[in-house]
Amino acid sequence: MHLRPIPCVLAALFATSTVHADDFQLQRVLVEGARASQLGIADSAGAGSAGARDLAGRIAYRPGELLEVTPGLIASQHSGEGKANQFYLRGFNLDHGTDLATWVDGMPVNQRSHAHGQGWTDLNFLIPELVGRLDYRKGPYSAREGDFSSAGVASLSYANRLVKNIASATVGEDGYRRALVAGSQEAAGGSLLYALEAMHNDGPWTRPDDYRKLNAVLRYSRGFANNGWSVTAMSYRGDWNSTDQIPLRAVQDGRVKRFDLIDDSDGGEARRLSLSGIWRRTDADSASKVSAYVIRNRLDLFSNFTYFQNDPVNGDQFAQPDRRVTTGMDATHTWHMHRTDKLSSDLTVGAQLQNDNIFNGLYDTRKRERVATTREDHIVETSGAVFIESAIRWSDALRTVAGVRASNYRFRVDGDRPENAGKAHDTLVTPTLNIVYGPWASTELYANYGHGFHSNDARGTVATVDPKTMEAVDPTPGLVRSRGYEFGVRTEAIPKMQTSLAVYRLDFDSELTYIGDAGNTEAGDPSRRYGIEFSNYYRPLKWLSIDLDAAWARARSRGSNPDGDRIPGAIEGVAQLGVTLDPSGPWSGSLRLRWFGPRPLIEDDSVRSNASLTLNGRIGYRLANDLRLELEGFNLTNRRASAIDYFYESQLQGEAAPVADVHFHPIEPRSLRLTLVKQW
Amino acid sequence: MTLRGFRTWCAIALLCVSTAASAHRFHFGMTDISYNERTKSTEIVHTYTAHDIEALLLNLYGRQFDLSDLDDQDVLRKYLERQFWIAAPDATRLPAKWIGMTVDANSVVIYQEIENTPLTRTATIRQGVLIDFLPEQVNTVNLNTDGAVRSLTFGRKALEQPAQ
Repeated sequence: MHLRPIPCVLAALFATSTVHADDFQLQRVLVEGARASQLGIADSAGAGSAGARDLAGRIAYRPGELLEVTPGLIASQHSGEGKANQFYLRGFNLDHGTDLATWVDGMPVNQRSHAHGQGWTDLNFLIPELVGRLDYRKGPYSAREGDFSSAGVASLSYANRLVKNIASATVGEDGYRRALVAGSQEAAGGSLLYALEAMHNDGPWTRPDDYRKLNAVLRYSRGFANNGWSVTAMSYRGDWNSTDQIPLRAVQDGRVKRFDLIDDSDGGEARRLSLSGIWRRTDADSASKVSAYVIRNRLDLFSNFTYFQNDPVNGDQFAQPDRRVTTGMDATHTWHMHRTDKLSSDLTVGAQLQNDNIFNGLYDTRKRERVATTREDHIVETSGAVFIESAIRWSDALRTVAGVRASNYRFRVDGDRPENAGKAHDTLVTPTLNIVYGPWASTELYANYGHGFHSNDARGTVATVDPKTMEAVDPTPGLVRSRGYEFGVRTEAIPKMQTSLAVYRLDFDSELTYIGDAGNTEAGDPSRRYGIEFSNYYRPLKWLSIDLDAAWARARSRGSNPDGDRIPGAIEGVAQLGVTLDPSGPWSGSLRLRWFGPRPLIEDDSVRSNASLTLNGRIGYRLANDLRLELEGFNLTNRRASAIDYFYESQLQGEAAPVADVHFHPIEPRSLRLTLVKQW
Repeated sequence: MTLRGFRTWCAIALLCVSTAASAHRFHFGMTDISYNERTKSTEIVHTYTAHDIEALLLNLYGRQFDLSDLDDQDVLRKYLERQFWIAAPDATRLPAKWIGMTVDANSVVIYQEIENTPLTRTATIRQGVLIDFLPEQVNTVNLNTDGAVRSLTFGRKALEQPAQ
């Protein structure tokens, strides 16, 4: 046998290759098909990524639940299905996304200074089949992240191409129907991706939601994701009836049934149109990315949380219309510098610009007809940010990522009341530092420190009187700082198992709290949270994977509120256990158990919500190579629990005075959905 | 310079750069083509870095793949068949059958076969695997004819070459 010199050298090159700064993320997916290893990649124990296969295996009642792939995150719904989801993470009741920044394909989903709630995150336009990956990061430890990112960031991206075209049809209980066609084809030297989704759902409610959704995506891309560009148009429209939270007393004494409602004209409609583009260039020495977007959002939302307390004749229904155009651009550039064999560094600079032109208001309505105007505003909110981040690999064992971000916000509010109009601006500089130490082959330790922030509603930054009570109020600061500290460990020392553990503290200068009976968020007292998160993914066999996540958090207000220091709605624990079986035969299946921990509902902790445990499952059967049938079951044990509980005063017809009570929205009872999926 | 001399020189150069500047990754692919007397078929064995193939698929489709899964292997097969082909003297493409592939942490090895076809039917080779994705990718094709090996080098400027 003679040795061939070139193959020998190639073999030597392969064998000695180590991870370098210009590398794409080296992951074990190709080899083991496991969830991508984050060793050597993630800067904290709370960061991670889920691929298309992971996401396709999730059992999601609604598209927003895809975010639950983030350990410790809960996405629920407390009203009509078209409304933005309710999120919980890291000891927060995030309401509709106050401190959880969500991005889809480089576009921010959170809507700032929104009529209903700060950071409104409506993910109903999301088409799960198109999502190529979801990256999450918990805690304010990255200079790249800005507004709403203190509890975490979830960033989803659509694929430029689908491996196979897909057509699926679903029928389910409670009027659930869904049809989807999605595909991609090579066109004009690039790839054309298209998707069309139509959906209807009534839910278990006495008055059906009659949620109708029409969703479309069209994308043209050239080249590769890291060296190419794409232009994407999206369109979403949804119309629905809402069953809002109902008072516990009325259910207990039989005045209303569990799935009844009080105001039979609550509901809404949402429209979203967007045009966005992403351009990326990557070579061995540098990487650049520019993305730009124009998003038009329109929402009409009619709610009634207090029933007949304020207006015993007309009822308390109120409308919160919001119409906005959001434009923005993000740009980053990274220089990869290789100083020596061991020492390498990446220097990244970035800029973000965003402008929102918003018309929103708060009106008293009766059966969706306006009877009075509380406020009506035109808001122009403009923000700019620059950041610099340095990632240095000092040795095989030690990495650091340090960054600093400067964010500037300008608020201009013109409204129907001159005393609540004006201009304000705010600037915040936020530093971050991450240290990663991993002298062992399969274990890394993390120390993280960082500042983050959320913006407050622009209307609060210039307010001098409460438009409802006409009492004098102080304007709120535009930007509110958070400070996070975290220690974490991630290990793959046990074969086929990924485990991470994080202990954190997060302080906020002011907590955004949801005012249930006003239907708005309010800048509140400072807060402090401690928490532990434990996350495991075990794939002992190619066809069997098990994941187990548990999170505990302690949240306290630090505003010396005489009523107590609890933060209403702040979640104390979350746990999930998932088992997925995918043997080579026609059958596959998964089961997922979710524990949604207890929450205090009032500052003195005298009223609390119960924890709930729900079980979802899925069975798949492959009829032919490209044809499969899936049966999904939700709340299989038919638990009676709450998706949300609030404690506040309300008054029903026939009641002489307001009553302080728990108001809740039940989780859906057991329901099944059957899907036929054809791929080609 | 003889062919053997050229290959030895290439190997020395490669070794030098590999020790001097490991900060940059080198992107190479290798394809061995030989005739199997026993099966009367032309056999093709490709070797690529697993890292490059993973990055390619990730950036082409925006998602991750598990190449131990047959459906996911099919994605790579389609790409490879677009980028690599052998044409006969009459310019028709010879049907290269996908036999299978193996993956480990470092490399992806792909096996193809052109049944009942001697190597002499090979007139033109196109070897553009990964070259569209990585501008610096260099693919070496070793043609093994009766124990003698000839090497062809494919890069962005030379995607198609005569084999004879």
